[in-house]
Amino acid sequence: MISFSSVWFRWGKWFIILPLVLIAILGVIFFIYVNLAFPETRCEFVTHLESPDAAADCFECHLKCTPKIAQDWYESKHGVILVKCFVCHGQPDGKGSVPYAVDPDVDGTCRKCHDPSINRMEHLYGLELNCNKCHPFHQNSLHHKAYVKPIAKKKIE
Amino acid sequence: MDVTRREFLKCAAASSALMAIGGPLAFAATEQPVDKWVKGVCRFCGTGCGVMVGVKNKQAVTVKGDPNNHNGGFLCLKGALMTPIIYAKERLTQPLIRKNGELVEASWDEALDLTASKFKDAIKKDGPRSVAYYGSGQALTEETYLASKIFKAGLKSNNVEGNPRLCMASAVGGYVTTYGKDEPCGSFSDIDAATCFFLIGTNTSECHPILFKRIAARKQSDPNVKVIVVDPRKTNTARIADIHVGFVPGTDLAIMNAMAYVIIQEELDDYRFHSRYVSFMDNKKNKLTFEDYKKFLEDYTPEKAEKLSGVPAATIRKIAMIFAESSATMSLWCMGLNQRIRGVWANNLVSNLHLLTGQIGKPGATPFSLTGQPNACGGVRDTGGLSHLLPAGRLIKKKKHRNEVEFLWGMEPDSLNPKPGYHTIALFDALGKGKVKALLILCTNPAQSLPNVNKYREAMARKDNFIAVIECFRDAETLKFADVVFPAAFWCEREGVYGCSERRYALIGKAIDPPGQARPSVNILVDLAKRIGVDPKLVPFKDSSDIWEEWRRVAKSTPYNFWGITRDRLRKESGILWPCPTEDHPGTEIRYVRGKDPNIPKDYPKKYDFYGKPDHRAVIWFRPYKGAAEEPDKEYPFVLTTGRVIDHWHTGTMTMKVPELRRSFPKAYVEINDKDAKKMGIQNGDNVLLTTRRDKMVFQARVSDVCRPGLVFVPWFDVNLMINKLTKDAFDPGSKQPEFKICATKVSKV
Repeated sequence: MISFSSVWFRWGKWFIILPLVLIAILGVIFFIYVNLAFPETRCEFVTHLESPDAAADCFECHLKCTPKIAQDWYESKHGVILVKCFVCHGQPDGKGSVPYAVDPDVDGTCRKCHDPSINRMEHLYGLELNCNKCHPFHQNSLHHKAYVKPIAKKKIE
Repeated sequence: MDVTRREFLKCAAASSALMAIGGPLAFAATEQPVDKWVKGVCRFCGTGCGVMVGVKNKQAVTVKGDPNNHNGGFLCLKGALMTPIIYAKERLTQPLIRKNGELVEASWDEALDLTASKFKDAIKKDGPRSVAYYGSGQALTEETYLASKIFKAGLKSNNVEGNPRLCMASAVGGYVTTYGKDEPCGSFSDIDAATCFFLIGTNTSECHPILFKRIAARKQSDPNVKVIVVDPRKTNTARIADIHVGFVPGTDLAIMNAMAYVIIQEELDDYRFHSRYVSFMDNKKNKLTFEDYKKFLEDYTPEKAEKLSGVPAATIRKIAMIFAESSATMSLWCMGLNQRIRGVWANNLVSNLHLLTGQIGKPGATPFSLTGQPNACGGVRDTGGLSHLLPAGRLIKKKKHRNEVEFLWGMEPDSLNPKPGYHTIALFDALGKGKVKALLILCTNPAQSLPNVNKYREAMARKDNFIAVIECFRDAETLKFADVVFPAAFWCEREGVYGCSERRYALIGKAIDPPGQARPSVNILVDLAKRIGVDPKLVPFKDSSDIWEEWRRVAKSTPYNFWGITRDRLRKESGILWPCPTEDHPGTEIRYVRGKDPNIPKDYPKKYDFYGKPDHRAVIWFRPYKGAAEEPDKEYPFVLTTGRVIDHWHTGTMTMKVPELRRSFPKAYVEINDKDAKKMGIQNGDNVLLTTRRDKMVFQARVSDVCRPGLVFVPWFDVNLMINKLTKDAFDPGSKQPEFKICATKVSKV
C-alpha cells in the first residue's frame, strides 16, 4: 500500500520544480522573441520607482514588455496624435501632475479633452465610472468611423 | 443630524458595497471637483486652443479644453498638463537686483528706480537709439502694444524688437509682398473643407498637435482627402501622409518652382483667376506677364529640380497635379520655410502655387502660415511690436502712417522718430559693440534662443550695459545676464488678450492671484515708463482692458479693423476673428472675397479684391532657387537642423516644470539616419560629437529613419545642451530672420 505522504515525499518536489522550469524556459523564449522581433529598441531595464527621472519614454520599453498594449496605443487615435502614456496614466511613482492609474479617472483626466462627449454620454445613457468599458482607448484606430458617426456630432445643450 | 449606530452601520455597509461594485451611483456621490471654471487660451503654441482653468480654494487645480473655441474642447499633452507650471518652486516672487555679481532680493521701488535711472542716463548720454526693448510673441497683446508705445512715442526710440523676428518675420514678409497685408487670408475652419493638404516645412503633429488632429479627422472622414508632406525628416506628421517627399534641405524653392512649371505645362492653372487678380513681378519689382513667368520657369523643369533636390521628377509631377486638381487645397507651413535666408521667397512661392491655380478664397483653399507662439500674430505683428512697424500694419518709414499714429496717440505732428530701429540680430550686435546701453527684456529667453548664441551671450555679459528682465521663472538662462529682474504674473494670473495663427483674438481670464509680490507686466511697464519720465498722458492705463480700448481705436481705420471685438464680447465668446467692424459682426473667416471680408464693399464689381496692393492684384513673384548660407562641404559634410519635440516648448522654462514632460525628454539628443549611423558605427545611445564652425557639443544618438541621409536633427529645448551655440546667425536680407534650420556640421563618434 503506497500512502499519499510517501508519493508526495518521492515526487512532490517535481510538482513544484517542473512548472518553475517550464515558466523559466517560456520566459527565456519570450525574451529572445521580443529581442528578435524589435531589434531597434534597447531595453534599459530601468525600474520605475528607483530612478524615475531616467525612465524616459514609456513607450520604448513597453513596446518590449507589453508589446500588445504598446502596439495598440501606437495604432490608436491617441497614438497617431501623440497623446502619450503619461497624459492619461500619470507617473508610476505618483509624482506626476495626473494621478497614477491604470484606468484613468473620468473627472480628473478624461474630461480635460472629452468633456462635451462625456456630457453627451451622461445625457443618453447615464454616467459610467470607467470610459474604458465601452471605448477601449488603445484600440480606437484612426481608420474606424467614430468621427463621422452622427452620434459623435450631436450637441447637448 | 442624528444618526443612530444602526443607521450608521447600514450606511457604511451600503457605501462599501457600492465602492466594491463601482458604477454610476458611486460616481455621482463624489463632490464637485472645482469651484469655478475660468475661460482662457493655452500658454503654448500658435494654435491658440481654448482652455478652461478649474479653480478651487483660489488655486488653479486643473484644466480642460474650451468646447466653444476652435479646438472643440481638445487639448494636446502640453496643454493638458499645464497646472504644475503655475506653482513651480522656481517662480519669482520678489524683484531682484545684481549686487557684487549676485542677484539679491530688493523692493519694487529700488528695482524700478534703478532701471529708470539707467534708461534715463543712457538716453541723456547716447541718445534714444541706445535704449531698446526686446519682447515676445508670448506677451499679451496689451503688453506689446504698451511697450511699443512707451519706446516709440515716449522715449523716441524705435528699437522695439521681439522674438517673433526669429519665428514669424519671413511669413510677414511673404504675406506683405504677395498680398500687401499681413496675416493669413483663411482660417482653421478651412481644414474641415479642404480636400488636399500640402504640408511643407512643418511638423504639425508635434508643433501644432490639435491642428494635426483636425487634419487627421478630416482625412478620416473622407478617404479621398490627400495629405502631402514635404519635409526632409519623416516625422510623425508623415504618418497620415499619402505622399511623403523627402528632399535635400534647402532645395524646396526649386521644388515649388518645378511644381508651378508642371501646373502650367499640364494646363492646370486657372487663367480666368490669374488674368484678373494677379500681377507678375521679378525680383527687381518689374511688372511682367504670364508669358515671362513661363519663360522663367523653364529653368525649373522637374528633371532639373530632381538633380538639385533628390526628389524624383515623377514625384514632383504627381504632387503638382494633386495640388492643382484637388477641389480645395490648403497649404500649411511653419519654421521650415520661415527660418531660412530665403524665407520670404519660400513664402512667396507657396502663395504663387495658390494664385496660379486659383486655390484661394474658397472654403478649404488657402495658403496658411502657422505661428510658433501663442501671440506672435495678435500681439506683435498686429500691434507693430517690431523695429520697422507701427500699430495695425503701418510702417515707420511712411510719413502718412507716422502722422496717423501721432494723431491717434495725441502727439505733436512729426514727433515720432522716422528711422527704423535695429532688428534683432543687429540689436544684440549693437549691444556687444556698446551702442545699445540699456535693454528691457519681457517674457523671452534670448540667452538660449538666439542663433550662434555664444556671440550674443558675450554681448549680454558686457559689464557696461544694463539689462532688465521681466520674467516668471528664476531658472531662465537670460537671468544670468540680468542686472534687474522683475517678477511677473503668469498666464492666468492676470487678464489679457492672445491672438493666434488664424487672426483669432481671445481673452485669458484672471483665474488666480499672482504669487508673492509678482505683478502683471502691464503695471510694471506703466510704472517704469512714468519713472523714466514718459509723458503720463501717453500711458493713462490702469490695467490691460484700458489698453485694449485704445488699441481698438488705433486699428479702427485700417484693414485690421476689429472695433466690434469689445472686451465684453471677449469675456462672453471664445475668440473672434478680425476684421470685425461692428459689435454684431460674427468675425471673418475668409479675407479678400466680396461678401465675406467686411473691408470690401458689397457692390464691388469683382469677386476678389486684394486691397493691400495699389492695383488690387496679388503678386506672383519670380523667385529663383538659392541655397543656404552654409551648405555642407567636405569638411562639414552633414546638415544640422533644429526644432521642437512635442513634449517641450521653446527653451523648456515651462515644460521642464511638469514631471511627466521632463521625464519624457530629460535632455536633448541627436537624431541620425540609420544608414549614416551604420557607416560610422554609431548605435542608439552612443555619444556623438557635433562640430560646426561655431562650437562643438556631445549628444546621445537616436538612430532612426526619421532624418534622411546627410541630415541630423537636434531639439533646442535643453538648457544644458544648447544647440543654438552651434547654429548660424545668417539672416534673410528681407525679413532679417535668421537661418536656424540649416548649417553645416561634422559628426563623429566619441
